[in-house]
Amino acid sequence: MKLQQAAPDAWRLFRIWASIGLQSFGGGASTTFLIRRAFITKNGWLNEEEMQRFWNLSVFTPGINLVALCVLIGKKLGGGLGVFLSLVGFLIPSATITCLLTVGFTVVESIPAIQAMLRGVAPATGGIMLLVGLSFARPLTLVIYKEGVIKLILSAAIIVGCVLTIVVFKVAVILVVLVSALLGVLFFTPRRIAISSEEGTL
Amino acid sequence: MINPFVYFLFFLKASLFSTGGFSNLPSLHQDLLANGWAKETYFGQSIAIGQISPGPNGLWVICLGYLSYGYPGAALALLAITLPALLVLFVSAGYTRIEQQTWVQGLMRGISLAVCGILLTVVWSIIHQPGVDWRGWLIAAAAAGVGATGRVHLLLILAFAAGVGLLLYR
Repeated sequence: MKLQQAAPDAWRLFRIWASIGLQSFGGGASTTFLIRRAFITKNGWLNEEEMQRFWNLSVFTPGINLVALCVLIGKKLGGGLGVFLSLVGFLIPSATITCLLTVGFTVVESIPAIQAMLRGVAPATGGIMLLVGLSFARPLTLVIYKEGVIKLILSAAIIVGCVLTIVVFKVAVILVVLVSALLGVLFFTPRRIAISSEEGTL
Repeated sequence: MINPFVYFLFFLKASLFSTGGFSNLPSLHQDLLANGWAKETYFGQSIAIGQISPGPNGLWVICLGYLSYGYPGAALALLAITLPALLVLFVSAGYTRIEQQTWVQGLMRGISLAVCGILLTVVWSIIHQPGVDWRGWLIAAAAAGVGATGRVHLLLILAFAAGVGLLLYR
């Protein structure tokens, strides 16, 4: 394990986040891997506990968790300027490429071959999304499994409940999150203070 | 005619009341279609392009912005997904005061379970796009199966799926 090292300057943050943004394909898992490598493993600017804490805070925050994580890491290592340059580095280059790809797509979209390819790619992204969900659920399941069958069933019921209320009853997503959080407080608050390094593993 | 201010508010609202990169989809779907500012097909296309391009998954809304409203749409979409993330600074300030409370652990557990559910609904809405038939379901299952081994790069999986699409649907 590495010791914490002196924080990078803001421009270095910009370059690191730009390279993370440009290298992350296929979303969540690969991006979190790159972030961990850049800030924990390679440079030792953050430790595991901080990263876990930052991740929990990001999950609490509306919108894209990775962007919130970017804000927190930028703030810790570079203050206000660090936040700004981290965000610009993470989002502007990758968003520009995304936009240009879309422009390219609108030029060629009427070509039947392109449409056929897209009809193959679209469901494949659904399959990959399923993996994203499973990779999120796996560490959680392992923890809950140790807590006993009742909590496992309860957890599964909450997940199924969330899916049904959104898909079938079209309830607003934020409402579903709030109710689920409330159920969490009711059923999953530990009796004694335990080490809180278990949730939403990065 | 698109009203840029209302358009931006739709994106901002969807982002503010979501968690993760995809759970803003249902809200945008509702608002943009109701105003005739987007077509149903834009959503599937945006998610596919978003997967192919670099950056966080949530950047799919940049595609949706461009498809529905050109460059201004892409810029407004980017702004709308960036601003809510800054709220994490306030969350952080409040959280240090409450994180020792045991109920916070319960709260986080509840949110984590909801996120699992939401990700499943996004899978559902992607494979429920027009143009996805039973063969599409097989492609989805195959992509998940191959991806689960962790040995094949996601871009290769998508490229292969594009090849299969070319064979099946042309």
